[in-house]
Amino acid sequence: MTHDTAKVVTERAIGVGALVLAVLAPLLVSDFWLNSILTQGLILGIGAASLIFLSAYGGMISLAQTGLMGIAGYALANMVTQRVPGGETKGLLLGWDPTLSLVAAILLTVGIGLVFGAVASRSFGIYFLMLTLTYTVIAFLFVGSVTLIGGFSPVAGVDAYTPGFIGDIVNDRDRLYFISLIVAAFVYVLIRYLTRTPFGISLQGIRDEPVRMASLGYNVAVHRTLAFGIGAFVAALGGVLYAWWFGQLSPTIMGLDATIQLLVIAVIGGLRRIEGAWLGAIAFLVINNEITNRIPSSGLPVIGGTFNTVIGVIFLVIVIVSPDGLMGLWDRAWSLAKRGGPPRETPGAQPAAEASSS
Amino acid sequence: MKVGKWKLLLPLALLVVAGTVMTSGAFATNAQSGEVKVAIMTDCKGAFAFGYEVDTAGVIAAFSTYAGAKPTNKKKPSAGMIGGRAGGKKINIVGIGCGDETPALALKETRRLMNQLAADVMLGPLSGDEAVAIANYAKANPKKTIIIGTAGSQDPTMQIAPKNVFRYHGDGAQWNAGLGEIVYKKLGWRTAAIIGDDYSFPWTSAAGIIADFCGIGGKITKRVWTPPQGGDYAPFIRQLPRPNQVDGYFWLIGGANTNAGFNAFEQAYGPVSAKQHSGNLFLYFLGADSTVAPRLIGAYFGGFGTAQTGELKTAQAQKYVKQAGRWFPGVADINDGFFYNYWNATWALVQGLNNAKPKGSVGAALQAALPRTLKPAFQVANNGVLRLDSRRQAIQDQYPLQIVRGADGKPTNTIAGYVANVDQTFGGYFGPNKPAPGRNFPPCVKKKLPWQGKIKVVKNGVITNQNIK
Repeated sequence: MTHDTAKVVTERAIGVGALVLAVLAPLLVSDFWLNSILTQGLILGIGAASLIFLSAYGGMISLAQTGLMGIAGYALANMVTQRVPGGETKGLLLGWDPTLSLVAAILLTVGIGLVFGAVASRSFGIYFLMLTLTYTVIAFLFVGSVTLIGGFSPVAGVDAYTPGFIGDIVNDRDRLYFISLIVAAFVYVLIRYLTRTPFGISLQGIRDEPVRMASLGYNVAVHRTLAFGIGAFVAALGGVLYAWWFGQLSPTIMGLDATIQLLVIAVIGGLRRIEGAWLGAIAFLVINNEITNRIPSSGLPVIGGTFNTVIGVIFLVIVIVSPDGLMGLWDRAWSLAKRGGPPRETPGAQPAAEASSS
Repeated sequence: MKVGKWKLLLPLALLVVAGTVMTSGAFATNAQSGEVKVAIMTDCKGAFAFGYEVDTAGVIAAFSTYAGAKPTNKKKPSAGMIGGRAGGKKINIVGIGCGDETPALALKETRRLMNQLAADVMLGPLSGDEAVAIANYAKANPKKTIIIGTAGSQDPTMQIAPKNVFRYHGDGAQWNAGLGEIVYKKLGWRTAAIIGDDYSFPWTSAAGIIADFCGIGGKITKRVWTPPQGGDYAPFIRQLPRPNQVDGYFWLIGGANTNAGFNAFEQAYGPVSAKQHSGNLFLYFLGADSTVAPRLIGAYFGGFGTAQTGELKTAQAQKYVKQAGRWFPGVADINDGFFYNYWNATWALVQGLNNAKPKGSVGAALQAALPRTLKPAFQVANNGVLRLDSRRQAIQDQYPLQIVRGADGKPTNTIAGYVANVDQTFGGYFGPNKPAPGRNFPPCVKKKLPWQGKIKVVKNGVITNQNIK
């Protein structure tokens, strides 16, 4: 067995093991952990996967993914909730059919994502980053300022209006966990599949050499726009799940903090491998939860600061020690254990800026 | 070993240790039947971060007074308490939630406190939108009991009103009852503009002011809403009518941002005239006493349903000064509505645990046993008994206040009037089937409120039978 084959076999075994553990999780962990760490981790992981997909295969580090998740969530919330005595008090309260609303929310988000993508498709590097951050800021301020669709107060009761095939997720949180698990698995398979299609391969070519690809006749802007649309679709799936998980939405789910949080999750997990999305999300939430429980709200002893200080230090350490995040650490550990030498670069996973400068 | 290997092995080893420690909580259980688990939900970030110690002080002081506890550290309320029993059970404060006035963080913290740390009862939250979020959480978690700390949005006990949410103080509208009539009569205002933060508490505050001011014949000519996270107020100030176009302004910008709003106003229109400005509790409380109030000596404002302790000459008010003032002297101001409202919430909880059947029960038994009446410091009507309505919301007395100069030359406040038995509906003006207060609701309409023309003059801390004219 070659070194690479052995690694693939090992990773698949770990993957199957992780999947078995994930299926058995409701029997193994407390309700809080299942709901607040694992379910939320799967959902944030889907959001981070959309970011990693664009970064690893399209060379586009997008800060719009939080905004797109929020747009999907807000669209769903405004469409499904309705005015009833003792019910919700904010939002449009359209009271539409939940299945129709679900489809409409996803389609709306993909449509907006395609428009966003088209506008940003000719921007690269820091300009692309800033442009996509602007999208999220616009989305945040829009839902906060237009009180008709919610304002800064929460639009509540989203989880009470789910399609029949989703069922009751208010009283049965295990159900939401398994739905999130299935969607996460679908997103993982979808991205793995897409990257092997002619579109995915040409996207990676555009990531590495956009000028050469253009000279070969590929429409760079259209490829990047479509990739952004796919990223928006994945983010929309995460967004509707996040709306169901939260039960009520307020603009801070797509604020600057939340945007940075998703980026930190992706960096902790690793920006070059899609698996890093879920690894990063769960690691982030575990750290967040434990720090909040163990450190007084008044701050750390001597140096002060709370969770943000700790996660900031962890972020710095990861960027210095392993720029490819936890997945990068795994790749390097494997190389070290098997060959005693430096790790091999993951083929075809260089950011565009690096590639174009070589 | 090469340096490169250390660079890999060290983080790997750290990861294994940290992962083991951090995931150990995943399998922990929280079964402890001999205690009642209580969570405090307040803010430690954002505009109301200073409420963290004040709110906690209210809780610890009340447990110390009514449940035999003692503060762990008299200089730091958040250090917790020693002892404390009610209904025969030990009171265990499992955690203090750290919000930032946003509903999203309030909800996350609530889930951590109530689900992970398994609290039975929550005392809190602090802020309006947080309370909306937590009331919705309560609806889906009927076994958990929420006693709102000091949040003033209307929705939690009006439109949402789950059976496990209790509020022993007024909402933002109740806290401004009588204010509109006072500026109408004493300052001659006939037209006014509103400027406030764009979220549920200022909307509710404005609703009370509008109901009162328009009810007696005043007109609101403009409502300007600003982003609650603050920022540059200049563009919003410019949306207001100029000082020569309107009789007065009602201010509802909160926390640390009140001062920024007034600074922007002065930059646009010059020094403010106290006779032209009024507002809710944000004009004096929550830090504004040293920044905004010095410019507004003589201005009338709403409050928390409280008066300066010591000013009101009733036995209940005097007793409160003695009981509450001894626990955190110099650290927490018992005049502060934050302290007072958390104190009353905690006192009600102790009574509920003592009266529950069986004693010390939580869940539905506690909710049934939580008192429907309370004798808080500043209640005078009904022989000093505050009542909850059918949606578990307090019907409370209200004291419109006035900023005055104290003997030391610094601003202080005094009672400007007394409004008895202010209910949350304002005599039917608001209701569970009507929209919650918003940017444009309620409309400005002339309507007779229950207390219109009956606001009492208070002289030297004594409520007189004379009506304000």
